[in-house]
Amino acid sequence: MNYAMVKRLVLKDWYLQRWAILGSLVGVVATLGIIATGGKVAFLLGLILLIMVIISIGAQMAVATIVTERKEQTLPFVMSLPISYREYTASKIWGNLLIFLVPWLTMVLGSFGLLLWSPSSRGLLPYAAIMSTEILLSTCLILAVALITESQGWTVAAIMVGNLAVNGLGYIVAHIAGIAKGMWGPTIQWSGAASAVLLAEFTTIGLLLGVTFVVQAKKKDFL
Amino acid sequence: MNDLSVHFEGVSKIYPHFTLDDVSLELPAGTIMGLIGANGAGKSTTIRILMGLVHQDRGRVLVLGREMPREQAAAKLDIGFVSEDMRLYGPATLAWHMNFVQSIYPKWDQPYAETLLRRFDLKPRQKIKGLSHGQRVKAALLLALARRPRLLVLDEPTTGLDPVARQEVLGELMAVLADEDRTILFSSHNTLDVEQISDQITFIDRGRIIASDNKEIFLDRWRRLRLVLSPEADVPSLPGVVEVGGSGRLPVLVTNRFDPAMVSACNDAGATVQAVDPMTLEEIFVANVHSRREKQIV
Repeated sequence: MNYAMVKRLVLKDWYLQRWAILGSLVGVVATLGIIATGGKVAFLLGLILLIMVIISIGAQMAVATIVTERKEQTLPFVMSLPISYREYTASKIWGNLLIFLVPWLTMVLGSFGLLLWSPSSRGLLPYAAIMSTEILLSTCLILAVALITESQGWTVAAIMVGNLAVNGLGYIVAHIAGIAKGMWGPTIQWSGAASAVLLAEFTTIGLLLGVTFVVQAKKKDFL
Repeated sequence: MNDLSVHFEGVSKIYPHFTLDDVSLELPAGTIMGLIGANGAGKSTTIRILMGLVHQDRGRVLVLGREMPREQAAAKLDIGFVSEDMRLYGPATLAWHMNFVQSIYPKWDQPYAETLLRRFDLKPRQKIKGLSHGQRVKAALLLALARRPRLLVLDEPTTGLDPVARQEVLGELMAVLADEDRTILFSSHNTLDVEQISDQITFIDRGRIIASDNKEIFLDRWRRLRLVLSPEADVPSLPGVVEVGGSGRLPVLVTNRFDPAMVSACNDAGATVQAVDPMTLEEIFVANVHSRREKQIV
């Protein structure tokens, strides 16, 4: 693996998506500001906006850096460079994840900070950790589908599935006894159920990225 | 084999509706090869296999001594590639693209890049999305040439260009010929473009290489003979006749093995040679394709 080339390709995507990255950061900070105002309506509104912004940036990056690259025929230019498809795949996964991690980590740190700062909401922290990881998982799904299929249609389908999964999992997790019990309390109650869900999420992320590399390595036609 | 820039040996690629069939091709270093074929003949598939972007199902491909597609990253360090379907990043400037490519290729020649900027009348600060199609092709060509590649692969680069832009692009390619070490593979369905810059010609049709030779040999050996037959004479049997046209006592023969001695052979057979017409590369290509297709039908 030529890591220097992977780094150059990652930096290329960052440069080309710099305004989207900046916009997403502004969006995350603004929604965290709404949440911080303290009202219940503001909290719910801010939370919904925050999730929307984060999911949107993940989806936007995958579409802009992978699907659009094929659609707008810049892929032949990239593939004319001294890289293999393995390096191309690595650059897209790292580039997208690192871009996504900027607003995602801002969201995680910001929301964790707000929850810890407000004593009555601390019980929500395990739930917030699970849901943040679910958003990361959803982004990895979109990324994997975009890379493997390079199809706008399939990527849009993955975005929809990812969105539904976030909502569905949010509902299911909130009703798991071990998690629901201390959710609205003033103390953090880290249960075995919460750990199991988190572990399952990270395992799925690993599997998704691994499968993406395997499928890409077996591809025979890149243009 | 060391002086071969490209070596295809029995290469096949099977798609549901198209097969590149048993392609063997050799491109010696320092040669400019024109790959001519109709749309869908297999030119782009051949070039994509050469670049390692499509994996062959069978056969062996060596490019600059590298096994493809396995060693494509190393091979592409010495290849400049421009294709008709290649686009640069619209929101970025040409200067950004130049810096990006320069950061990758150690042999990037900045003074030459600046010379090309002037010759192509390109402005580095201009965004790619603001360029015309001709300017975009020139920009892609600049990025390929200034990296000083040992092998330049051009897949239909002049398609869609206006006549002025086409001549500028072809002119620059001809200027590149001054470098003896440079090897160019140039694909096009436009035989006029290929004729201008190539010294080696390969015809491809329906996924098969149907002829490959030196351009001058093609132009020297292919002739159209216009005959007038005496009432009792038949069309004379001549070597290499691939097409018999005309009508009745005025047949027109196309041969790919012309020899001046044929004229006296015709006279001896009771046929007067009215004219021996040289053929353009386009006419040779079309006659070649028709002849091969007719043989396939028979």
